[in-house]
Amino acid sequence: MANPVTIEELSEAMYRMVKEATGVKKLKPTDLTKAMMEHFGPERCSKEACKEALRRLMDSGRCVYTYYGGSFVELPPEEGTEI
Amino acid sequence: MGDENKPSQTPKLDELEKGPWPSFVREIKRAATKSPMARDLLGVLELSYEEKVGHWKHGGIVGVRGYGGGVIGRYSDVPEKFPNVAHFHTLRVNQPAGWFYRTEALRAICDLWERHGSGLTNLHGSTGDIILLGTRTEELESTFADLTKAGFDLGGSGSDVRTPSCCVGPARCEWACYDTLNFTYDITMHFQDELHRPAFPYKFKFKASGCPNDCVAAIARADLSIIGTWRDEIQIDQAALKEYTENGIDIQADVCERCPSQCMSWNGKELRIADEWCVKCMHCINAMPKALRPGQERGAVILIGSKAPIVQGAMLSSVLVPFMKMEPPYTELKELVGKILDLWSEEGKSRERVGEFIQRVGLGNFLEAIGLEPKPEMVAHPRENPYVFYEEYFEEEPEAASETEG
Amino acid sequence: MADTVAERKTDIGPPHYEKFLPPVVKANYGKWKYHEIVQPGVLVHVAESGDKLYTVRAGTPRLLSIQTIRELCDLADTYSDGYLRFTSRHNIEFLLTDPDKVGPLIIELTTRGFPVGGTANAISSMVHTQGWIHCHSAATDASGIVKSVMDELIGHFQTMELPAKLRLALACCLNMCGAVHCSDIAILGIHRRPPKVDQEKLSKICEIPTVVASCPTAAIRPKRINGKETVEVIEEQCMFCGNCYTVCPAMPLSNALNDGVSIWVGGKVSNARHAPMFSKLAIPYLPNNPPRWPEVVAAVKNIVEVWAKDARKYERMGEWIERIGWPRFFQKTGIPFTKQHIDDFRHAGLTYQRSVHIKS
Repeated sequence: MANPVTIEELSEAMYRMVKEATGVKKLKPTDLTKAMMEHFGPERCSKEACKEALRRLMDSGRCVYTYYGGSFVELPPEEGTEI
Repeated sequence: MGDENKPSQTPKLDELEKGPWPSFVREIKRAATKSPMARDLLGVLELSYEEKVGHWKHGGIVGVRGYGGGVIGRYSDVPEKFPNVAHFHTLRVNQPAGWFYRTEALRAICDLWERHGSGLTNLHGSTGDIILLGTRTEELESTFADLTKAGFDLGGSGSDVRTPSCCVGPARCEWACYDTLNFTYDITMHFQDELHRPAFPYKFKFKASGCPNDCVAAIARADLSIIGTWRDEIQIDQAALKEYTENGIDIQADVCERCPSQCMSWNGKELRIADEWCVKCMHCINAMPKALRPGQERGAVILIGSKAPIVQGAMLSSVLVPFMKMEPPYTELKELVGKILDLWSEEGKSRERVGEFIQRVGLGNFLEAIGLEPKPEMVAHPRENPYVFYEEYFEEEPEAASETEG
Repeated sequence: MADTVAERKTDIGPPHYEKFLPPVVKANYGKWKYHEIVQPGVLVHVAESGDKLYTVRAGTPRLLSIQTIRELCDLADTYSDGYLRFTSRHNIEFLLTDPDKVGPLIIELTTRGFPVGGTANAISSMVHTQGWIHCHSAATDASGIVKSVMDELIGHFQTMELPAKLRLALACCLNMCGAVHCSDIAILGIHRRPPKVDQEKLSKICEIPTVVASCPTAAIRPKRINGKETVEVIEEQCMFCGNCYTVCPAMPLSNALNDGVSIWVGGKVSNARHAPMFSKLAIPYLPNNPPRWPEVVAAVKNIVEVWAKDARKYERMGEWIERIGWPRFFQKTGIPFTKQHIDDFRHAGLTYQRSVHIKS
């Protein structure tokens, strides 16, 4: 793979995407993966790398999974947030 | 709870302590002797019994770090009345295959749940998990830490691989046509990432039954149903048949005439089975387990797509692979599942179970996409309507006839 | 926080089942030869080696306190060397090698209120959901109805005199966490009024296209109200499935006056004899009448009794109905047949009687 994008870069790009979508659209993990593959191109970015980047993003606590009839990736809500 | 002279706070629920079947109200009251959370659960439930309506709200925003499954968030809509159940989150804990336990393991779970939650559980939840019922958001991480210390992990929830479950299998059943426990443990470990980190359009359930009696309802409840079967002859112990006739079984009426494929005959001494017509339903074997046993060439039927009604209606699973050998490390099945999950993740719509996805794209197209040949075993009958799609057709050649078609 | 994160264990999976198998199971794993039912609730499995394993099965309320689990563990320590298991229908099973301990264990269990039974041609414990104890979309309670029904039918749990197995199940809404749709008798909580849109909340927390797309009958349309983007529900088109509420908490559809229970019959999952079948609608609506739901209990009991009297040996509910025909099912049970019994969802026509083979 020529000049692959690093996991850190991918994580960061995913984080930005989630942040920008907050309040506009809830994103699924596949939305993030598809967007990253499109943005960086298949030469620089694989599905496996996206998976790893998402996992790191979640483990860091900067994003969390939420559930509204399906699972989404969002910024951590404040406890007691009206739902 | 409280003064003996005071009237009960839960007159409606108290009614359900009476009667011979074990009472869940007694269980809540038992937990309430130690847990304020269980005490308030009793209160909020009594309120529901008075008002005929539930008092819980969605709570899709809680979990343990890094996982998207295993915690069902729940908040009360009357927290001012029952502050101890303002949060009432549930943890799904992945059960050991076959639901076998040593008491130390169960006691360890009881101890940690006494420290972190309401002291109430379900053994087990509908998907098969150990359910720890009711705790607060700030307890989730520490509960999880204690769980992993005790050797347990969370199960699935949300759009992920749900906790696989299986029947008692070869651990205690002579009918198990493959090792359901080993298989279940193996795929649970194989799909750990998919189980904890939801990345699918919706849930995906595996259920493993060792024989066509299907004790875990795989055909009704699992996206992938793995149901044991055999493809040689039913094993017959003619001597043991006699014992059954002496003990009230009328082999002609109770067995031969109940056989859905009418492949058996009994002349009062000898039972004959035309195995080529047998559909492997298990009735005769169920009726006379000492005399009849499944054949020796064993494996499983792999079926796909069952689900409860949401969204497009309930479905039963249908045949995907008529017979597969089921031996570790289950490579053939894992490769097949990998292709299915990739395709459905890529093209499934939100909240579309794999069975609904197949209905939408057509089983024929689905098979083509995952690289399986269509087989007559997959359908009850061929299509009845003539609206057939053809992707390939002949075209007039501008010049003289060419040899082959593309 | 940081140091606890460093030690965090994840993805360990469940404990390996082998750790929890009794020695007699390990020794005879995959080598069981046959089994017999010694008495209701007691099985003996005989291995090729000649070893025998006795199983004592008892019903539980599924909802268990840690105090009761410890009590059950004490029993397992005394009677079954610290090993026990649970079944897919919430029964508990003690695994014994000493036949002399079977009787005393049964006495202990019975004295402590755990009925022994649930084997062969009996009612086993009811698979059920959370209901008002934990669920946000419940149209009825689960545990309360189960307790009331089982109090009435416990005799059939403790004996084996029914024509065949009888599998009862309850789901408190049609999400069916309990997947009850293939049960001999299923009790299903139903909503009967459309969701009430909480406009204020909806515009804040839900995505309109998602809510619109969630409706299987296209009854939800985007609408602008008081300058806010929200949705409206075409009420005649709503069939109360609650799918919108699952994707958007601002669409609650609970309604104390109208929520209730429906009864479904004739489903099975086992392949024995007849292929697996869905349960079909028997009674469209019964009221929520806590704490004991007398109408539901009476309806279930009636169906069980008519079937028990009329069915042939081995005939599950659905097989019996298929033999006698639906007109006679309604005659014999005295249940009125109504417009609601006739399907009007996808492929409804396949459920019409398309022949002149009529038994009535």
